Amino acid sequence: MIYDMKPWQWVKHVIFHPTEGFEDMRWKKAGSLKVAFFIVFMLFVSQVFSSRYGGFAYNTRAYSDVFNIVPILVQSIAYYATWVVANWSICTLFDGEGNMRRVAIYSAYALVPFIIGNFLSTAISYGLTLDESIWYTAIYQVGLWWSVILMVFGMKACHQYNFTMTIVSMICTVLGMVLILCLLALIMSLFQQVYVFFATVYTEILYRVRS
Amino acid sequence: MKIKKLLSILTAVMLSVSMLTVSVSAVDPYTTYNYDAWWNAVPSQAGYEVVRTVTGADIGLEQLSDPSSEFFISENEPSSLNDAKDFYLSPNNEFYIADTGNNRIIKTDLEFNLLACYKTFPGSSSKHTVTDENGNEIEVDTDELKSPYGVFVDANDVIYIADRDNQRVVKCVEETKTSARILNEYYRPDSELYNSVSFYCTKVTVDAAGNVYVICPAVNKGAIMFSDSGSFVGYYGANRVEVTAEVIRNRLWRKIASEEQIASLTKSTPVEYANFDIDDAGFIYTVTEVANASTDAVKKMNPAGNNILEKTADNDAFGDQISVTYNGTTYATRLTDIYVSDEGFINILDYTSGRIFQYDERCNQLLIFGFDQEEQRGGFSNPNAIEGYGDNICILDGRNNDITVFGLTEFGGYVHEAIKLHNQGLYEDAYEIWQEVLKRDGGFYMGLVGTAKALYNQEDYKGAMKYSRLSFYAKEYDQAFEANRELMLRNNFTLIVVIVLVLIVVMIVIKQLKKRGKIPQKLIATAVGKIADGVKSAVGKIGKGGKSK
Repeated sequence: MIYDMKPWQWVKHVIFHPTEGFEDMRWKKAGSLKVAFFIVFMLFVSQVFSSRYGGFAYNTRAYSDVFNIVPILVQSIAYYATWVVANWSICTLFDGEGNMRRVAIYSAYALVPFIIGNFLSTAISYGLTLDESIWYTAIYQVGLWWSVILMVFGMKACHQYNFTMTIVSMICTVLGMVLILCLLALIMSLFQQVYVFFATVYTEILYRVRS
Repeated sequence: MKIKKLLSILTAVMLSVSMLTVSVSAVDPYTTYNYDAWWNAVPSQAGYEVVRTVTGADIGLEQLSDPSSEFFISENEPSSLNDAKDFYLSPNNEFYIADTGNNRIIKTDLEFNLLACYKTFPGSSSKHTVTDENGNEIEVDTDELKSPYGVFVDANDVIYIADRDNQRVVKCVEETKTSARILNEYYRPDSELYNSVSFYCTKVTVDAAGNVYVICPAVNKGAIMFSDSGSFVGYYGANRVEVTAEVIRNRLWRKIASEEQIASLTKSTPVEYANFDIDDAGFIYTVTEVANASTDAVKKMNPAGNNILEKTADNDAFGDQISVTYNGTTYATRLTDIYVSDEGFINILDYTSGRIFQYDERCNQLLIFGFDQEEQRGGFSNPNAIEGYGDNICILDGRNNDITVFGLTEFGGYVHEAIKLHNQGLYEDAYEIWQEVLKRDGGFYMGLVGTAKALYNQEDYKGAMKYSRLSFYAKEYDQAFEANRELMLRNNFTLIVVIVLVLIVVMIVIKQLKKRGKIPQKLIATAVGKIADGVKSAVGKIGKGGKSK
């Protein structure tokens, strides 16, 4: 096997060789941040696609006028970012070998089957009746669990853990994500209140000056 | 100059045309709305409009104080209604109005001409002792009415009156134009099961077997049921407890709390219903007058007291979907009365907003009309009761002291005609009428559903798909889609086979060419790589160009 591949060829290699692909990539110090960010962007696009498109019977919500992009932004890009930060923080404590760059790249590469499954299932829902929803679900679930498996092996290779340690670190990462998101929400509401305070002071002064 | 002249003439013509259109357009006296597929209120056409308003003078109540009239009762008998709480259209098409404030029952014909007024029961001069809500015993006269709250009349013109402040239900028949003869009286049941001290009955209805159903607001176990002979049978069709967060919390506490603590918890009790109506088939419909009640707000009960109302929509809320605060007043739906027409339309009256919500027998929202501006015709401040005859709906207002009669508009007539055919499954017959409805209100929900069904039956699957999408009806869409797909596959079968064959041939050819080395092994990969390189160099050139400038 020749491991002299272009970045996107590495993506393909990793996806179809879950157990060894990430080890190969680590050994060759391959993997590109640009590709990783592109994949994360595609994750966002696929989420938007699956919420705004699809056969009418499958996704009636897509045909309503109300659409809010913020939850989708949070569910794709914000989740990814917190995953990377939390995983890096946890694994630094757990003697993991990966640095943040590597965590970001390996996690993003692992997401590809999920993204493809998302696109595919939404696309085929145009040609399916509700009775045949098994196909829709199957494609979505295959993509999802493929990505989960890739993520496990990716993190294993990234930090050079054994299997148990990988699972433990991933569970801890999820807890860390919850913590980070909670703190973020807290900080945001705090800043909101500070902002409101200053805004009120400002308007108050304005009124005084004017009258 | 010529151009200027021409322009001025043109503007003059345009102005006159635009003024013409303004003067032509007709406006409803009030705005009507309906709910769309997302349960948003959207403007709609008026399905009903006010035909006439009937006051005491229109009924001819001044005859009651006219000594020369056959209806003469006394010199100072009031000639207007006073806080009338209920009215009922008897099977013989006569209105019986419970004129609560004046302690009398007024009988009129369909045109609201006075036929009789029952004020006293001569010959029944005995006294009766009842207990009021504070536990004090009081003596009441049984030869007259005292705040009659409800009235019911059966096919033999036997009148049942919920004589609230006398705490009894009177069963009587007409004796003269001004008095009635008591046949039977139903007092507070002397039973262990009946645990309220008083018997302030407000509404009464009677089924075909002669069983008397009485509503007492203090009793939440359902309607109090008497047999024909007057003995207490039991309760009928109690509401269920609405599951709220508080109910669940109390239930959890009950498991762990001590006896004393349990005693201090509020009991989760169902809400009594406010009013009922009985249809021709003998089913009793009830409404519950509690703000935004979602559990058992409207029920259709079989003789066993089970709710058999068919819920087609995925929501079971009746009336307005949400409470609205407007000008400092919060409007929350309070269903005070129900009227089921001969054709099965369910009309419920909202006390707060003065609106009437009309549903078909399957609880599909049809029309909404009426409002709470009492100064205007068609508006109500204390709408107490709803009745109807033919296509007309009558509302009794306890503060305006009048009866408002609504008649169907052209639009409402189309809706009724179409939904009747629709519910019989005659979708294709209903199609043309639904088109008339949609011409007048393009977003009318049942119109879209009906059109989708009709088009499906006519095998216009594309149209059915379009209309079921408009009505947001996923199940209906799915059926039409499946049929459409099958049709498409059948029509284009040859084309599909040809495409598949061509694809197979192309794949074989590419494989052969690869084997012979005419094209690269990784065809797609190389192509993508080349394109990527091209893009990269192009981007680089642009970047360089920008820099050199």
